[in-house]
Amino acid sequence: MRNYIARRLLYAIPTLLAISLFTFLLTRLAPGDPINLYTFGDPNITQADRDALRHTYGLDKSLPEQYVDFLAGAVRLDFGKSILYHQDAGKLVFERLGVTLQLAAAALTLQLLIGVPLGVLAALKRGTWIDGVIRVFGVVGHAVPGFGLGLLMIILFSVTLRWLPSQGYLTIGHADWDVVDRLRHIIMPAFVLALAGIANYSRYLRTETLDVLRQDFIRTAHAKGLRESVVTRVHALRNALIPVVTALGGILAFLVSGALIIEQVFTWPGIGQFAYASVRQKDFPVIIAATMLASVMLVVGYIVRDIVYAVVDPRIKVT
Amino acid sequence: MRQFRTARVFAAIAAAVAIVATACAPSGPTSGAPGPGETPVAGGRFVEGSFADIKTMQPILSSDVPSSTVIARLYEGLIQADPKTGELKPNLGKWTVSADGLTYNWEIDAGANWTDGKPIIAQDVATAIKAAGKSKKTVRKTNFQDIVGWKEFAVDGTGDEISGFKVDGANPKKFAVTFSKVFCPALVNVFGSSYVLPTQVFGKYVTKASKDEIDTAPENENPSVTSGPFKFKEWRKGDQVVLDKNSTYWKGAPLLDQYIFKVVADSTVLANQLKTGELTYGTIEAKDYDDIAKQENLAIAEFQQLGYTYIGWNVSSKDAPALGDLKIRQALAYGLDMDAVVKNILFGHGTKMVSHHPAVSWAAPSGALNQYPFDKNKAEQLIKDAGYAKGSDGVYAKGGQPLAFSIVTNSGNKTRETLLQVAGDQYKQIGVKVNQKTEAFETMVDELTTGNQVIQGWIIGWSLGLEPDPYSIWSETQIPDPANKKTGFNFGGFKAPGLEDVMVQGRAPSNGDCSQAARKKQYEKFNQIVNEQQPYNFGFAANVLAVTPKNLREFAPGPFSTYWNIEKWWYKQ
Amino acid sequence: MAAIDVAIRAPQAETAIRRSAGLWADAWYRFRRDRVSMAAVSVLLVLLVLSLAAPLFEGFLDYTFDQQSLIDAYSQPTLAKPQFVLGGDEIGRSQFIRLLYGGRVSLAVGFFAALVQLTIGVTLGLTAGYLRGFVDDFITFSVTVLNSIPTLFLLLIIAALFAPGTFTLIIILGLIGWTGIANFVRGQTFALREREFINAARSIGASSPRIMIRHLLPNILPLIFVLAAIDIGTIILIESGLSYLGLGIQPPTPSWGNMLTNAVSYLNRAQFLVYGPVFVIFITVLCLYLIGDGLRDALDPRLKGS
Repeated sequence: MRNYIARRLLYAIPTLLAISLFTFLLTRLAPGDPINLYTFGDPNITQADRDALRHTYGLDKSLPEQYVDFLAGAVRLDFGKSILYHQDAGKLVFERLGVTLQLAAAALTLQLLIGVPLGVLAALKRGTWIDGVIRVFGVVGHAVPGFGLGLLMIILFSVTLRWLPSQGYLTIGHADWDVVDRLRHIIMPAFVLALAGIANYSRYLRTETLDVLRQDFIRTAHAKGLRESVVTRVHALRNALIPVVTALGGILAFLVSGALIIEQVFTWPGIGQFAYASVRQKDFPVIIAATMLASVMLVVGYIVRDIVYAVVDPRIKVT
Repeated sequence: MRQFRTARVFAAIAAAVAIVATACAPSGPTSGAPGPGETPVAGGRFVEGSFADIKTMQPILSSDVPSSTVIARLYEGLIQADPKTGELKPNLGKWTVSADGLTYNWEIDAGANWTDGKPIIAQDVATAIKAAGKSKKTVRKTNFQDIVGWKEFAVDGTGDEISGFKVDGANPKKFAVTFSKVFCPALVNVFGSSYVLPTQVFGKYVTKASKDEIDTAPENENPSVTSGPFKFKEWRKGDQVVLDKNSTYWKGAPLLDQYIFKVVADSTVLANQLKTGELTYGTIEAKDYDDIAKQENLAIAEFQQLGYTYIGWNVSSKDAPALGDLKIRQALAYGLDMDAVVKNILFGHGTKMVSHHPAVSWAAPSGALNQYPFDKNKAEQLIKDAGYAKGSDGVYAKGGQPLAFSIVTNSGNKTRETLLQVAGDQYKQIGVKVNQKTEAFETMVDELTTGNQVIQGWIIGWSLGLEPDPYSIWSETQIPDPANKKTGFNFGGFKAPGLEDVMVQGRAPSNGDCSQAARKKQYEKFNQIVNEQQPYNFGFAANVLAVTPKNLREFAPGPFSTYWNIEKWWYKQ
Repeated sequence: MAAIDVAIRAPQAETAIRRSAGLWADAWYRFRRDRVSMAAVSVLLVLLVLSLAAPLFEGFLDYTFDQQSLIDAYSQPTLAKPQFVLGGDEIGRSQFIRLLYGGRVSLAVGFFAALVQLTIGVTLGLTAGYLRGFVDDFITFSVTVLNSIPTLFLLLIIAALFAPGTFTLIIILGLIGWTGIANFVRGQTFALREREFINAARSIGASSPRIMIRHLLPNILPLIFVLAAIDIGTIILIESGLSYLGLGIQPPTPSWGNMLTNAVSYLNRAQFLVYGPVFVIFITVLCLYLIGDGLRDALDPRLKGS
């Protein structure tokens, strides 16, 4: 196992290197110069000023030189200074990570709390109207464009009914630890973000549970005369959950990435929203720092998933 | 996103003018004056909505509207604009100009002090100017280059002090700044754009030995000593900036408890949050006007903006030579019903423009200009006069070349996208074919500023500052030249006889007369030339629609400043 | 993207094992009897036909999709002027006709981008799974790298690079979304390549490309259809999301995504403009997912619910 982890971590190095090169090239080759953007319309800026600024940010160097500079900094977790904020890009992104993770964690919780029971219920009530409703939801939940739903929810719950705040994560003047206030803020974005996942999990769990219910050891359990609820709870559910664990990596990817649009709709000040603003303003150091941070989270997430998978499923052996 | 792009365009465009002028024509009801018998009550918070977060609270590094807005609540400037006329008035300091127009003598208000109780002195002005000299990331350096001794201090690094900046030996609140040449915009650019910085905080970053520590000073994110009506409390990045009232403010403690600057997603959300009371101030878009006007608890103050949205023509385009033809450009002015555009896109909350300076600016022409009233027949006649004949496809052509060109605008800005689509449609009706394109803002900025010849027509906006000098937009020295990697804002390569001279006389007059009257004469001529030559279809100036709760008192944004009396604002309970 | 995981998990174990003409016939028979799936197919076909027939409606209503009428801006839905049956937008264009034209664009983007994804994913998956060794390592590494960058970040950066037209958007979405398919096909190929009929083919000297195309591909193909249906739906949703970020199909070309985005910004003035685009996006994606479900059930009847 230790070997396996070491190997996976080793493999992560070229992966991250390739990601950095890929992101670096994509951002630098794109049209649009950050200094031209930054100084656009300023009547007092001369050509010389622009050139000096470009020099300050190392943008006058050749691309390979810039990439080497970037790598030299990146290994020390120094992604350079944001062109707009004049602060460490890495620090700026990191400050926003917590907010994004809050949202992702809330969404994941909703997915598991709602999706898993729905799926199991549908499988147990197979063929009934309950199963029907849950299956319809399992498809419908996928088909809604997230930002449209988010905006309509804002109109309904914030503007018309005035039940929930529409934006941000904390009411002005409330203390950081005001959990109730935070929950009131997070519920709408987390739900919209979680919806597809809830639908997904319900479908997933239904299929898996049906699959497991048909397998021999369940029949054996029935044959042994175990009560239905015991069979379900102990045997079926545990086995059905194994694939759920494997899905977590993909779900994490979706949550981190999918949060971008939802963060924008609800002005949730996380890394997705920040990355978006930075892409539009060509703030290279921030774009790369945000992408790298998100990628590291994913790579680590995948590794953890595989390890957990190996641990919970005895059929898988890692060497 | 949408909001973001709109906001950013103006953010990016906002000149290095610290007194961000929210220009307005005095019209429309505001929450305004206290009623009879009302007594001011202290308390309450003022929550302003913005589409973008602030970037810094260091005045010399700020180049965007959100940052400048918050900085202006924290730091006092030497001068301020009269809210009604835009005339420059003493604020922290009073000034006189020497007879040769080269030296400005200043005296700082005796009662002005920092939040730590220390008086604001001449040395603090020097600290601010020196900070710009030391910074490697400021966009302000050029403002100061005509100060005597600037080069030695900022460029060569040989001086400990700027020799042209002299503090009065007898009175530490008095100083004089000498320039090497007369330059009319200097008053706004130098004394208006630089805030005064506390030497006790920033002095250590601007010594002879300092490099660029000022750019990363922790006080840029967390200002400890300030001079404005509010003082810094908290910056929740990406979300909000919270300022508390400064009870020792030299003009008297504000009545409001807090000023909060809050980020919201877009214009629709902004309007919604005003309705729910989550925001108490924001400027809405025209499309939301009717909805807000219906709200019983909200008041809308309406002013003309100091800026305009226009269609620019690349007069030197080889692929669209028609745009180099004056008759065609005039036809394009007659052929687009701008009044209808204002009525439909802005719901009437704007004004058609026919020259560079908007009516609210003192530099706006007072003489009669050609208004180019909508007239399809006249437009077609001008096209025929230019030697074109209508083809069977309904498009005019000359020598086998159809009268066709592209117009590009930045994607996501609804107003501009709509103007593009309307213009395309209306030009089609006068036999002109328009290829409508939208591009990312950053791509378009690059193409425009570098003089990329794929640009034929373009739609964008100028947000003008308090200083009306049009040189950087219209001078032939500002035509971008891709061959020499020269960038500039005269994107269309426009030149006209006499234009350069009036602009130079307006900014650096040979007789040294920087009076408003003298400069206005030059800009009168300037506007006549661009009005006649139509290098742009000057489009329209949208109105600023400022929304506050109805019970906010003393909120009286004049044409040039919204916040000038913020310390007096209060909520009627 | 997560949808793909779900669809491919369950049946992968055994569909590949059977390969006979009967499978197709059986599946088709079962699919036809599935009322939900057939209803979904019908709705989708109607939408498709309506979109393709958009020019006919232009002629019939005497109003082109880019025709403006400023006095009809924000016109409420009305039968009095049939072109504004779904209302008029901010410059008085017909919401109805634009929805039809938007359908052409959105459906084309969904369909062709899925085609690109499938082509790349299947080709690389087959190659990696069959050839193994260095080729497999390289392809697997590429998949790992692409999978480790959050999809939307990647889309954001790339879409900002090109101002997306219909064609570029198809290519961009196609080039990014193929990793799940490649992974799936690779796994299937891995399982199949050691089976007797492949060994037999190899022993009589069939070339690698021939084995891959003639023997492996047909075994994997049925599930590809399931993936394709779901993929198209996902892409249509992504297009609308990109439009919201200002990075989708650019106006004046209508797409469902940019029409929805446009409508959202006029929400306080003309709420009715939102409903059309939301409805067609929702219905289309729903139908595609239902078809995907139905196909999967048809191919693997054991899983069918009732």
